[in-house]
Amino acid sequence: MADLSELPPEPRRGFLPIHTNGFDRVFIAVVLFVAIHLFWMRFLEASVPLSVGTVLSVIVGAVVIARG
Amino acid sequence: MRRNRPIVSILFWTVSSLITLLPIYWMFIVSAKSRVQLFGSPSFLLTSFFTENYINTLRDPAFQRYMINSIVIATSNAVLVTTLALFATYALSRYKLGGKENVFFWTITNRMAPPAVFLLPLFLLYTQVFVLNDAKLFDTRIGLILLYCVFNLPFAIWTLRSVIDGIPKELDEAAYVDGATTWQVLTKVVLPLAKPGLAVTGILTWVFAWNEYLFAATLTSVHARTVTTGLAEFVTVTGTNWGQMAATAMLTLVPALLVLGLVQRHIVAGLTFGAVKE
Amino acid sequence: MRSSTVGWLFLAPTLVILFIFGVLPFLYVLVIGFTQWNSFAADPTMQYNGVENFRRLMFDDQFLYSLWLTLKFGFFAVASQILLGYLLAQLFMRDFPGKGFFRTVHTLPLVIAPIAVGATWRLLLVPGLGPVPYYLNQWFGYELNISRYIDQAFVATVVMDIWHWTPLVTLTLLAALASLPKEPFEQAQIDGANRFQIFWHVTLPLLKPAILATVFIRLMDALRTVDEVWMLTGGGPGAATRYIGLHIWRVVFPKTDYGYGAAMSLITLYLTIVMCWLLYAGLVARRDLKRAE
Repeated sequence: MADLSELPPEPRRGFLPIHTNGFDRVFIAVVLFVAIHLFWMRFLEASVPLSVGTVLSVIVGAVVIARG
Repeated sequence: MRRNRPIVSILFWTVSSLITLLPIYWMFIVSAKSRVQLFGSPSFLLTSFFTENYINTLRDPAFQRYMINSIVIATSNAVLVTTLALFATYALSRYKLGGKENVFFWTITNRMAPPAVFLLPLFLLYTQVFVLNDAKLFDTRIGLILLYCVFNLPFAIWTLRSVIDGIPKELDEAAYVDGATTWQVLTKVVLPLAKPGLAVTGILTWVFAWNEYLFAATLTSVHARTVTTGLAEFVTVTGTNWGQMAATAMLTLVPALLVLGLVQRHIVAGLTFGAVKE
Repeated sequence: MRSSTVGWLFLAPTLVILFIFGVLPFLYVLVIGFTQWNSFAADPTMQYNGVENFRRLMFDDQFLYSLWLTLKFGFFAVASQILLGYLLAQLFMRDFPGKGFFRTVHTLPLVIAPIAVGATWRLLLVPGLGPVPYYLNQWFGYELNISRYIDQAFVATVVMDIWHWTPLVTLTLLAALASLPKEPFEQAQIDGANRFQIFWHVTLPLLKPAILATVFIRLMDALRTVDEVWMLTGGGPGAATRYIGLHIWRVVFPKTDYGYGAAMSLITLYLTIVMCWLLYAGLVARRDLKRAE
């Protein structure tokens, strides 16, 4: 694909399929946070309380921000 | 590579143009026929012009009010937006402001947002929060004029940015050396050179404001209704008076037809936030 | 560069207006979304009730159906517009007499008020008046009645959107085609590529940023379509064409269930932003954004 040397230094490549800067990763974390909650309420809340989903999405968010 | 056969192109585009024009032509036909003439098999021919649909519409005091409201709102909005956008783009172009590119990009998010999402909060703000004594923004022209800035200002700023950037900074500097004030530089140096760009921006914002329906329908009730809401009411209230509905719709789209030739070249850049230049 | 205070003063009115009428409503809806507020309810005041509105929404079949319809509408409308628009743009690349005139005519639908577009198509399609149902019936014996058949109403809204917005796609892709470099095409011809190969391996990759940008802009617009559809079908028959904007407007407002409506608006906004971002990421990930301009 593209040669990486031309890219500005700040955006980097983590496990996500695109180059991201800090703002992008926080944004992705928030999007995932909301998505997990919505799906949790629809499909899982009958058996597992929503707070488990909250904890899970915070962990996912932290991972994305740190390593994405 | 391309064989040039103009006759094929012309034939194709004639057909395509007919498809574009046919719905509008049909509306015109309906608007020029009486109820009786509309019965039976549809005919695209016009044997006589039935003016009553237009006369009835234009004589209707409600429609006259809508028309005045629309003209006042669209014109005030266009003037306000063009003026503010000139100030804003001048600042963005000539001053070193921290984070100004972010401000520039942020403005556009206001335009991208789905209007339906903002209907509810705006309705509540207009009826319950922005209230001074008994005065509300709800059902006022000024309420709509200010609101339309939200989608027209970003458009105007994005259109004018390249216009102002294209005026050489050396002209400003020369005027400053001659002892001009900032205000004089803006009005005597930049403004005359930006006139064509300002005109196009003004016309397009005017058309956008004229065309707007959803906010006008939700945030007004009696006094500040516009032509577009009048047209929509026509369908729900009178149902099947097709001739008069067509006449109202024709009157609604007349301004667009009038300015089409003037802004045709700029409309795409405008609708794509300047992402596409021709 | 001049003093920045004056610069900010010039920007101030714009920023103030955008804040009051753009940002403030957003913050307000964000707050209301987490409350129970219904002016017809036993307790008409605003009460914090956490994510209750969102929980209800996740089981609101009407709302989810409307979202699904909107996506379906957006997909069919935008896909057809891109295909048709590309074809028309290619045809505009040739020189022929009267090109300027045809171009102007082609631009016409873009400046017409959406509500008038809806009125136009209603007059064209309404049974008993419109020529389209009449001639379809005369020539093919096909019964077209968009106030009766769900699929026909859906197709009618898509066709109307195609009529209204294909010109935009044509003109954006035309601008992109006109700015493409000549060398790759000449090289491909020297290498003996046929037309399809040139299209697939040269034109399409070069045009991809422009196509993505156009899809982006058109999809955002398609998802917010309200006026035309309201005028053409009124969201019916039943709820068959009640796309999300129309759903919020026509269902939430009369019920005055503000908290619930705010939550619905928020989810719609969330989905819009996510889709916006996915497309934008698709653009940036390939680092092609510059060429799209």
